[in-house]
Amino acid sequence: MRNRDSSDAAVAGVARSDPGHEHEAALIGRIQSGERELFYELIRPYERRVFAIAFTVLRNEQDAEDAAQDAFLKAFKYLGQFRSESRFSTWLIQVAINEARLRLRKSHLEIMRPIVDQENEDGTYTPRDFTDWREIPSEALERKEIRERLVAALGSLAQKYREVFVLRDVEHMSIEDTALALGISAGAVKTRHLRSRLMLRDLLSRGWEGIWTGNSQIPKGTKPWS
Amino acid sequence: MVVKCEDVWREISNYFEEDLDPALKLAMEEHFAQCAHCSSVRDGMRNVIGLYGDKAMFSLPAGFYPRLHDRLADQVEGRKISRRAWLVSVGVTGALAASAICAAALDRFVPRPLSEMSQPARRLPERLVAIVDGGKMFHAPGCPFMHGKYHMVTAQEAAREGYAPCTRCMRDALRSAGNVMPDFEGEESASGATVEE
Repeated sequence: MRNRDSSDAAVAGVARSDPGHEHEAALIGRIQSGERELFYELIRPYERRVFAIAFTVLRNEQDAEDAAQDAFLKAFKYLGQFRSESRFSTWLIQVAINEARLRLRKSHLEIMRPIVDQENEDGTYTPRDFTDWREIPSEALERKEIRERLVAALGSLAQKYREVFVLRDVEHMSIEDTALALGISAGAVKTRHLRSRLMLRDLLSRGWEGIWTGNSQIPKGTKPWS
Repeated sequence: MVVKCEDVWREISNYFEEDLDPALKLAMEEHFAQCAHCSSVRDGMRNVIGLYGDKAMFSLPAGFYPRLHDRLADQVEGRKISRRAWLVSVGVTGALAASAICAAALDRFVPRPLSEMSQPARRLPERLVAIVDGGKMFHAPGCPFMHGKYHMVTAQEAAREGYAPCTRCMRDALRSAGNVMPDFEGEESASGATVEE
């Protein structure tokens, strides 16, 4: 029934056979042998991803940028500790998440715990809103207020759900890589992923129906994406 | 296979991941056709996935890359920077040394002493001077401020014996020998009465 469950060994096997992984491994070898400027080339594909995961944890653009910079610095400093059994991107995301979490603990932002953080992970999440949704065109994202509402809705989820959701649905990382990056099991990734999707759907469904229109220029009663 | 709403909600995420047994997938689709609530959940989740999956959701802030590059430069390009810094420091040191040599040549860096006591020792000219008997000064021969009987000695001898030079007649002699007598004017006015011997 499940064809995406795999062990760490399978992850390592995938990583080794990936041509991109081989290219990265070669780059890392050259960096370690003295061609340090190649580090820019190594991290370029992951700059946005590192920023996104830092922003997901910290929910603040400036803090996220600082954390992303620190994460890249640490990645450079500890590149020698990287084991090529996993993807460099997964390792880099691990570094970024740790950096962002550390910064979060230091800033005491964790005292602002979202309401939906009270959910029990063992229980089943029941959808609360059954509003009929239309398909929303992606052009809706060009509207700043919609993007801000989406970010705000995501920010209202508990951190553990935000992290999984962003890695899976924003960064399109595999279950295995997400599990590896977050240090949790593939089963926990799936559970949190399902819940985060359902919770966001509930949050946004209420927004589509009028709550969003209260603080924006969109006329009351109309869908913001129409 | 018949599925209930709870089954659909539990598997809805896998449905979008296409991570389902074909029989379960078919049963869910049959359920969607009959259940408005579950159709709403499915459509809403599809929108969530579509909206958040857009790269525009987390675009990098303006100027992110240059700031990152600046931050990394010290670490990544550490050697280059120190080589550059070394060249700069060598250049600056050379320039400073050259200017110091020039300044020393022009005697611009020697501070001017404020009191006469801090003046460098004056060289008295190698010449004969006149000392009036009973006086305290020595004069150039023919000095108009010299009166009475006098005897001739060398300037060095006169200085060694404690005689002071006449500020009027000896001034030009000292200047021509390369000495500066900045305070002689003041000394002259202060001891004007004794000058005229």
